Amino acid sequence: MLQYIIILLDDTATSFCHYSIPHHRASKLIDLDDLKNGIRFAMIENLMIQFVYPNYELPTRHIEAINSIDHIDIKPYIGEREDNSDVIVFNKIPSNLLKDKYPTTIFRLTPQEFFDFPYYLAKETFKKVERLNIVIKDIDPIQAWDLNRYNDKLKEMSDWIEQEYCNGNTPQWNILTDRMFLSKMNNCGAGDTTITLAPNGKFYICPAFYYENMDDSIGNVNAGLDIKNQYLYKLEYAPICRHCDAYQCKRCLWLNRRMTLEVNTPSHEQCVAAHLERNTSRSLLINIRKHGNFIPEVDNIKEIDYLDPFINREKWQQENL
Amino acid sequence: MQLRDSRQPWKDGMAKNITFIVTKDCQLACKYCYLVGKNSKEQMSFEIAKQAIDYILSHEEDFKEESVVWDFIGGEPFLEIDLIDKICDYLKIEMFRRDHHWFDSYRFSFSTNGINYHTDKVQQFIEKNKEHLSIGITIDGTREKHDLNRIYKKNEDGKERGSYDDVVRNIPMWLKQFPHVGTKVTISSEDIPYIKESVLHLFSLGIHEVNINCVFEDVWKNGDDKLFENQLLELADAIIDNELYKENVCSFYSELIGKPLDPKRDNQNWCGAGMMLSVDAAGNFYPCTRFASYSLRNKKPIIIGNVYRGIDKNLLRPFLTLDRITQSPQKCLDCEVASGCAWCQGENYDAAKTNTIYERSTAICLMHKARVRANNYYWNKLYRKLELEGEREEFEKNKKEVKQEIC
Repeated sequence: MLQYIIILLDDTATSFCHYSIPHHRASKLIDLDDLKNGIRFAMIENLMIQFVYPNYELPTRHIEAINSIDHIDIKPYIGEREDNSDVIVFNKIPSNLLKDKYPTTIFRLTPQEFFDFPYYLAKETFKKVERLNIVIKDIDPIQAWDLNRYNDKLKEMSDWIEQEYCNGNTPQWNILTDRMFLSKMNNCGAGDTTITLAPNGKFYICPAFYYENMDDSIGNVNAGLDIKNQYLYKLEYAPICRHCDAYQCKRCLWLNRRMTLEVNTPSHEQCVAAHLERNTSRSLLINIRKHGNFIPEVDNIKEIDYLDPFINREKWQQENL
Repeated sequence: MQLRDSRQPWKDGMAKNITFIVTKDCQLACKYCYLVGKNSKEQMSFEIAKQAIDYILSHEEDFKEESVVWDFIGGEPFLEIDLIDKICDYLKIEMFRRDHHWFDSYRFSFSTNGINYHTDKVQQFIEKNKEHLSIGITIDGTREKHDLNRIYKKNEDGKERGSYDDVVRNIPMWLKQFPHVGTKVTISSEDIPYIKESVLHLFSLGIHEVNINCVFEDVWKNGDDKLFENQLLELADAIIDNELYKENVCSFYSELIGKPLDPKRDNQNWCGAGMMLSVDAAGNFYPCTRFASYSLRNKKPIIIGNVYRGIDKNLLRPFLTLDRITQSPQKCLDCEVASGCAWCQGENYDAAKTNTIYERSTAICLMHKARVRANNYYWNKLYRKLELEGEREEFEKNKKEVKQEIC
């Protein structure tokens, strides 16, 4: 069931996820009528709107339209505090320590930037942010992503998070702490719970689908939605994911399609990365609980002997017999 | 020479099927052929075949099936008999040299139009490899039925010429060499009126197993299902009244079809795409031949690697995790006669609204239901007859179940 709509206010609206804006893409502001129609669509369909901003000031009429509805703002970091933004996106590691306090913050990092992410900066960052989401960008070819180093870095960060929790702080870090609190899948939801309105007035599964192929639309603000094979975006129709308990996984359908040609099938590398996060979260939860009572309503994360659920496919069949 | 029984598929379910698309050329231009991109320019080179073999045999850990079927298709594979002979020699030498677990557990398989079957080169190849060989000749039935679709490419005069006479002359030799072999018949809309006489004709030629299926493409017209049912009912009468069931089997009639399926217990995929491997003249690997460009009307090919880079296992994951429920519409899950209703993953992909293999085409739905009704009639009539004659027990003890071949 649809619950959210992402509205890209400009072709150069910041990425907040794995995809990157093509370098040649010039600024193109969403037409005011399309924006208003998109807002009207969201109101009728009862969807929460997430506006994604470019790095320049929008025209007054656009701001007035945006403020006509309850919404969430996602803005790029442009060197000064954005008072009214719910989510701030850093497209690289800030060169200096953050000066202001931020709400939800997204760091879009290359694999190398993540590996180099300094311990002290993480520590200082969490003094300024309520929640940090790390999103790995430029993972193409994803096979080149060094998953052993990824695992090492997760463990390094996990040790520090453990200390923070023991000190009474509760930093939220998507790849390390989310899984501790989850008891079911909490994925991206593109095409299922979330759609995107692009600056050309057309709907897309997510921003990445728009930037990859503008002809890949699923309707427009005038004619409405037309999502072909919508069931394929649902968890129940994802043969690997529906058996999986790496609940924090973004389950990025765009990466799925790039790597396996099917939106409902993750690559081996995505599964391994998600399970490294899951397993590190498991250890983190166990370690935190050694220091005292911690989220007693949540079960331990069970121990598993695989990093890619794909290897269990024959067992799933056997279980059904 | 008389070769081994091939009534049951060799090493059924335990063999890896690896297909060489040795040519996209064929003498024929069959009207129902799904190969929309046939041409006379794309012949496989030995070097490509060699590289494919080297890759496959050097990755034994990825090919753990206990046996292998090396399949050669076209177009018409026997147009490239010299190349095939060279490939097969190389395969035998390499499997032996590498002490590969497939050595002495392999088979060479061919589906041919039969036109060149009698030629010296083909016969020499058969003699040379007779212990490891399966050959199927496609003949659609009577001359009228066969020549309706299986016609030669047009000459300059533009006239159609059927291939029946050039095929049927080789049938005795084929049956002598492979006495228990079956043939494959494909039914399209235009073929429906000829089904009964065609199957009976094939039986009369000495072909005791007729594997027959309807094309999966959306070619069916209003009323075809009723015509189809009537043909199958008449065929059932002919088989039972003339006691042809004692020596012959026709895959249309099976006790396994026409029952509801359990969503959990019967959730496996029908098609083997992804568990097979095909390689074409360019050295590209496919999950099945049906995903090569010359097989697709509407979609881009799905290439899962090539002889230079190997196989991208990520591209195989969707195929290897496919199940019935995930790709079937609700009407198929609720269907009370679902068992035996087949699908082809390649046709599903080609006909899908999006670029997915997870959307099951249901163009065959009414034809399957018609088949089920005729199938019910066949078994009810046959068993009543056998009971009245006191032969049912003996029949059940000895009856042969034909594997449902779909492609």
